[in-house]
Amino acid sequence: MTQPVTIIMIEDDEGHARLIERNIRRSGVNNEIIPFANGTDAMKHLFGADGTGLVQKGNALLILLDLNLPDMTGIDILKQIKENKYLKASPVVVLTTTDDSQEIKRCYELGCNVYITKPVNYENFANAIRQLGLFFSVIQVPPAAS
Amino acid sequence: MWQILLFSAGLLVLTVISAGSVYLVNKARDDSKWVVHTIEAENQINALLLEIRRAESAARGYLLTQGADFKADHDKAVAAIIPALDKLTRLTGDNPAQRGNIEKLSAAIEIRLGQFKQELDFIGQNRPDKAIAQVREAASTDTTAEISKVAVSMIQEEERLFRLRSVNSDRSQTLAASMTGIGSGLVVLLTLISIWLVRRSVRARDEAEARLRDAYANLETVVDERTADLREANNEIQRFAYIVSHDLRSPLVNIMGFTSELEELGGDIFRRIGGLTHVPADGPPLADGEVTLEGPDKELSADFSEALGFIKSSIAKMDRLISAILNLTREGRREFVPEKIDTRELIEAIVSTLAHQSAEAQAEIHVAPLPDLVSDRLALEQIFSNLIDNAIKYLKAGAPGEIRIRGRTKLGYAIFEISDNGRGIDPKDHQRIFDLFRRAGTQDKPGQGIGLAHVRALVRRLGGTMSVSSELNTGSTFTITLPITWNASNRNADQ
Repeated sequence: MTQPVTIIMIEDDEGHARLIERNIRRSGVNNEIIPFANGTDAMKHLFGADGTGLVQKGNALLILLDLNLPDMTGIDILKQIKENKYLKASPVVVLTTTDDSQEIKRCYELGCNVYITKPVNYENFANAIRQLGLFFSVIQVPPAAS
Repeated sequence: MWQILLFSAGLLVLTVISAGSVYLVNKARDDSKWVVHTIEAENQINALLLEIRRAESAARGYLLTQGADFKADHDKAVAAIIPALDKLTRLTGDNPAQRGNIEKLSAAIEIRLGQFKQELDFIGQNRPDKAIAQVREAASTDTTAEISKVAVSMIQEEERLFRLRSVNSDRSQTLAASMTGIGSGLVVLLTLISIWLVRRSVRARDEAEARLRDAYANLETVVDERTADLREANNEIQRFAYIVSHDLRSPLVNIMGFTSELEELGGDIFRRIGGLTHVPADGPPLADGEVTLEGPDKELSADFSEALGFIKSSIAKMDRLISAILNLTREGRREFVPEKIDTRELIEAIVSTLAHQSAEAQAEIHVAPLPDLVSDRLALEQIFSNLIDNAIKYLKAGAPGEIRIRGRTKLGYAIFEISDNGRGIDPKDHQRIFDLFRRAGTQDKPGQGIGLAHVRALVRRLGGTMSVSSELNTGSTFTITLPITWNASNRNADQ
């Protein structure tokens, strides 16, 4: 009955995407990861051609979101996800280089579930991602509203 | 300048007029006196002549009637003649011409008086015929005529003098009058000039005042414009710094991440090499992790690790610098919240958090009574803890340290001094130490060269200034001047 969770990774920096993926795999998470390098493509995938999000109805998703995207800000994407009735139940993990407290606060206000700063210290980064993997395995992603 | 000149001129004119008037009035009075004197002399001559005529007519009356009345009358007239003559002599004594006349007159009068006496004597002896003869004789002689002639010439002389003196007197009076008139006119003229000058200067002052007001108003707008420009520029720089440092971080994450990956890969590769070189020809392969490299392989591995070590330490340093810039820009954007602060309490708290470091450095920190402030607590904490931390950090090795914190107020500002007896700062570095990432002196302590740049930025945002006075090996004193009451409108508007 439990549907496997698909990880949607919205990250414009290829290197970061690769590092994130690698560390997720290292922590033993084998779920499918769909990467997007810009906001437009990701939005199209999430909300479908009609923009209603109906395409994702019933899919279990986990969204990894970078805030600095070339074509739009991650904040906008986060906002739209949390306002959409099919997507708002999906956990969103914000990953960014900013450790600005104002921005973190804003993300949590908008409904982000976890906020991870990409530290330059690689060990910390790897740890954070691995803990995220544990987090994936523990949380039961609720099925989207049907 | 003009006023003084004008005033002096007025004073001079007044003085001249006064002196001239006094002189001329005196002169006029003198002249009038002389006119009166002349009239008096003329009167006296007439009076004398009258007395002589009276004596004459009384003598004739006596001769005709032999009445005692006439005799008394005659005697009285004769008695008056001599005093009148004396008085006339006195009055005309100043005039040589008249003196000659007087002499002639006196002689004639004497003769005439002699004749009167003879006549009366003859009548007294009751010899009227003799008396009549005497009268006739007297009439025939020209004594009477002589008297008349002399008197007339005297009167003429006096009239001449009268005319002369009248003219003089008139002239003096006219002169006095015109002098007063001209002087008054001058005074009036000077007054008018003064009034004109005063009005002109008042007008000039009003104009200057108006110009000054305009310039002042203009200046304020100019200052406001400049301030707005500067604020805009400052904001621009902060945004720029923020974006640059933020975006620099992104590639750094990759560099660090893949360097770590490389490190791991390297470890794997060298383990593999070790494993391959140690595999016994026929035995099973060795377990992972327990391999030891030998010879050139070991050197290669060491070189590899060293290179990666340098890369990683450089990345870490770069990350710290970027973080520092980010923090600084963030600090520059933070809104200040002014509150009443017990400065001494705040500093005591900082000192107690630094107690460990100061004990290690054998430093004593003395905090004098300090003026309280209304300012941003966090900013003040950062300012003082940076400065005290620096003072502890850069003490002279081996010598007990002494750090003093003093404060005073001056004209709405609080002045704080943090002085130490540490290693000091070369005067040529006094500017440099406030620059970001710049340090001075022996580089034997950890640090990024951020503290003082940060402190100065904070002090400036709080509306204050800071300076340092220091010499090598004698210690440093950092002086901070902050407004006692921080005004949100002056600096915080750039938020």
